[in-house]
Amino acid sequence: MIRAVTVEVLKVRRSMMVRITTALVVLLVPLLSLGFVKVAEAGGAGAVALKAQAMVQGEGWDAYLGLLGQMVSITMFIGPGMVVAWAFGREHADRTFPSLFALPVSRGSIAAAKFLVLACWGLVVTVLMLLASVLVGLVANVGPLGEVDLVPRLGRLALAGSLTSMISLTVGLVASVGRGYLPPIGALILLTMITQVAVMFGTGGWFPYAAPGLYAVAGTDGVAEVNAIQLLLVPVTTLAAAWLTVRWWDRAEVV
Amino acid sequence: MTEPVPLEARSLVRVYDDERAVDGIDLQVRPGEIHAIVGLNGAGKTTLMRMQLGMVRPTSGTALIAGVDVQAAGPEVWRQVGCLIETPFAYPELTVRENLRAAALLHGIDRDRIDTEVGRVIDEFGLGHWQRRRARVLSLGNRQRLGLASSLIHRPTILVLDEPANALDPAGVVFIRDLLRSSAAAGTAVLVSSHHLDQLARVAHRITVLHRGQIVGALDPDGIDLERRFFEQVYQDDLERGVA
Repeated sequence: MIRAVTVEVLKVRRSMMVRITTALVVLLVPLLSLGFVKVAEAGGAGAVALKAQAMVQGEGWDAYLGLLGQMVSITMFIGPGMVVAWAFGREHADRTFPSLFALPVSRGSIAAAKFLVLACWGLVVTVLMLLASVLVGLVANVGPLGEVDLVPRLGRLALAGSLTSMISLTVGLVASVGRGYLPPIGALILLTMITQVAVMFGTGGWFPYAAPGLYAVAGTDGVAEVNAIQLLLVPVTTLAAAWLTVRWWDRAEVV
Repeated sequence: MTEPVPLEARSLVRVYDDERAVDGIDLQVRPGEIHAIVGLNGAGKTTLMRMQLGMVRPTSGTALIAGVDVQAAGPEVWRQVGCLIETPFAYPELTVRENLRAAALLHGIDRDRIDTEVGRVIDEFGLGHWQRRRARVLSLGNRQRLGLASSLIHRPTILVLDEPANALDPAGVVFIRDLLRSSAAAGTAVLVSSHHLDQLARVAHRITVLHRGQIVGALDPDGIDLERRFFEQVYQDDLERGVA
């Protein structure tokens, strides 16, 4: 297993896809959030201004952190989800899957190593994104720091971001069974749409793809708190998908 | 106690829908032997090799490596095997050296020997000039060399190569012949396929002719006019099946 992890770390470190996604998530989330806050604060009646005013709740750091919560729920699903789609789908698209047979390291171990490495990468991206967000907030002077409890708010965002990137690992199963990039990308889009519907109908807390996002913004704009059992469904669902994926890798044939 | 046969197919059958891709093949490869399988495209060569490597499960029959059914083979069995089926082990984002390091890790080479073995195959396979370049920029021929180097980095005693001369220039084909000869001389059991008779006839100890999933004959590697003999066997088989 350690050997498989070493190889997967090497692939992730060298991947342009991973580098671009990391940079986009880490930089885009704080900059977009800041942009929306500034546009909302500037007032105006244009389409973008009205949209920004609808999204932004409160002022200063409160508004900025609230918007970060909204951004985290989508970017930490789509960004890491694309990387997961690449990591599993590329073995089929690049035709390297047959090379992973007839080795002392089992294919199940290789799949498990992918999950482990991507889960750790998701945590690192979450932390980097939050550090960048604080930095951007300080540099842009979004407001007086004393107005918000920064540490608990950041802790909530860290948990939400980590859980969102964790649940994106489930598309590894779709990439494996679908043998390529496109099926998991389709799954990401579909799951995003289903998440929106689940939230609209008020059942999002029990839907593992929506729960972390709701947790990130709970308490703002009348969003109800997400309980621990609902959040626990995220690792349970992820582990179930990972187990199925590992079994698939151990049993799959070359086609 | 007798040593197990390194590579053996017992009544192997693989059916895809209504197509019998491999239809009751028995075959053995002994230590130090180069056993070549020749056949037209679609004869069943790749499917047979895939079954021998656990990539495809037989519909019936048994594929054995070192006397163990490949469906139950563990790390100790696979540690003895090197193979190149279809696409070479070459991740485009990794350099040649990094690809070889990854192959060494996955083939179970002791960590303190990895750098030595990577250096050895870089020299042996003439990859020194490209060792720091990413695999995505390599020519097809050099990707094939990289794949072969990855397959042999752990000094396997059983070698399965499907069309190893694919994409290689004439110098590369000569290199493959020398590689097969030296591997067999060191005691490695080699199963190799090709649809180019001339590439293999010079080095094989046995040549088996595969056609429509079945063994239809053998060719004497030292015989003359192998191509004509091959087509006679294939044509005769088609006549017997009533499809000529």
